[in-house]
Amino acid sequence: MQATAPSDHHELGDMLLEIGALLMVSGANTERIKITIDRIASAFDCVSDLMITNHALMLTLTYPDNHQAFTSVKWMPGMHLNFNLISDISTMSWQIVLEKWSLERINQELKQLNRKPLYPRYVVLLLVALAGASFCRLFGGNLTEVLAAFVASFCGLYVRQEAIKLKFNFYVSIFFAAATAALVAGAYFYFHPNEVYSHAFSTSVLFLIPGVPMIHAISDLMDGHTLNGIVRGVNVMIMAFAIALGLTVALVAYKF
Amino acid sequence: MTTLLFLEKGIWLGCAAIGFAVLFNVPRRTLATIFVIAAMGGLVKLALLQQGAVAALATLAGASLIGLLSVLAAHQRKAPPMIFAIPAVIPMIPGFFAYQAMVGMIELTVEKDPTLYSKIFFKTVNNGLSAFFVMLALSIGVAIPMLISRKQTIKRLQHDDNLEVEME
Repeated sequence: MQATAPSDHHELGDMLLEIGALLMVSGANTERIKITIDRIASAFDCVSDLMITNHALMLTLTYPDNHQAFTSVKWMPGMHLNFNLISDISTMSWQIVLEKWSLERINQELKQLNRKPLYPRYVVLLLVALAGASFCRLFGGNLTEVLAAFVASFCGLYVRQEAIKLKFNFYVSIFFAAATAALVAGAYFYFHPNEVYSHAFSTSVLFLIPGVPMIHAISDLMDGHTLNGIVRGVNVMIMAFAIALGLTVALVAYKF
Repeated sequence: MTTLLFLEKGIWLGCAAIGFAVLFNVPRRTLATIFVIAAMGGLVKLALLQQGAVAALATLAGASLIGLLSVLAAHQRKAPPMIFAIPAVIPMIPGFFAYQAMVGMIELTVEKDPTLYSKIFFKTVNNGLSAFFVMLALSIGVAIPMLISRKQTIKRLQHDDNLEVEME
């Protein structure tokens, strides 16, 4: 066991908070953040105690050598899903333990992590639109409805990306996206009232469903992180409400 | 012909999962695995539904299979299981139930006739509960295999015990 200078402790604590915040923002569940930070801290012979909330991370590091402690709180921005980052950090945390990385090495690697989206924007738009079309087909839509769902999902996601770029409120962006998607999906059927519209209409907004917070809400509750689970659950309900509101706008506009 | 139509659904399930996987920015090496896992889990659910199983139970079975496969895939592809499991279960989300429940609720707010009201109420509650339980089954089905197979936690606990002994 090597003795570490107090400045190193500060650096280690800041680094752990940075990793925890990256994981949280990228969409990891509470237990994973806790495990990852514990794992890295134990590689430096420290004990970590964490308090994780939806927007802040509080860490206390206790050192075995001189019984000092480091405590700090880090504020985190809202979710920006990036599973690639989670995977890279998970691999890194094992390497830190097994290969006994130094602090400088970890900080270097942290800077080199790929935080940018892996896929170009048009690829994401097209594949999400394809997902919308697939949903429509799965729920029993015919060719017209599948095409309508494709176009609607494409426009909806485009609007959401633009709304987030313009720094609109997160839930308001979802509402805009849902309203756009539903209005686009309903447009064709408004002028062809004899065709069935409901499949395309209902599946056009499915790309907005908050799947990650929904599954994490349950897994957090099952891991005993009850408060985090409830917070995520409430978050899911607000998002679902925003989607429903967007759909309602289209329903009222077209008098379906 | 019916088998072909059934397998065609597997392709759509996979495509829907890939769309979400790209939205969540998963590593490129995991995309093909996600497609296969999503198709298999979704087809299990659809097959059970055709046999007359309750929607929530069929979903639980499909989601558990996805959870299990993603734990296996995690070792193969060197990525945490949730990266495979979450995009793969999303095609099973009960969008249509939820939509009908929502439309029902809007109808309920404007409906005045008592007999029609009770009819709409019945349909709405039925659809809403189905959607709710299917979503619950999805999350639980994914979470259980991951909770059972969490070997790394055991590793960490042993390590912590050693640490405590050293501290004393």
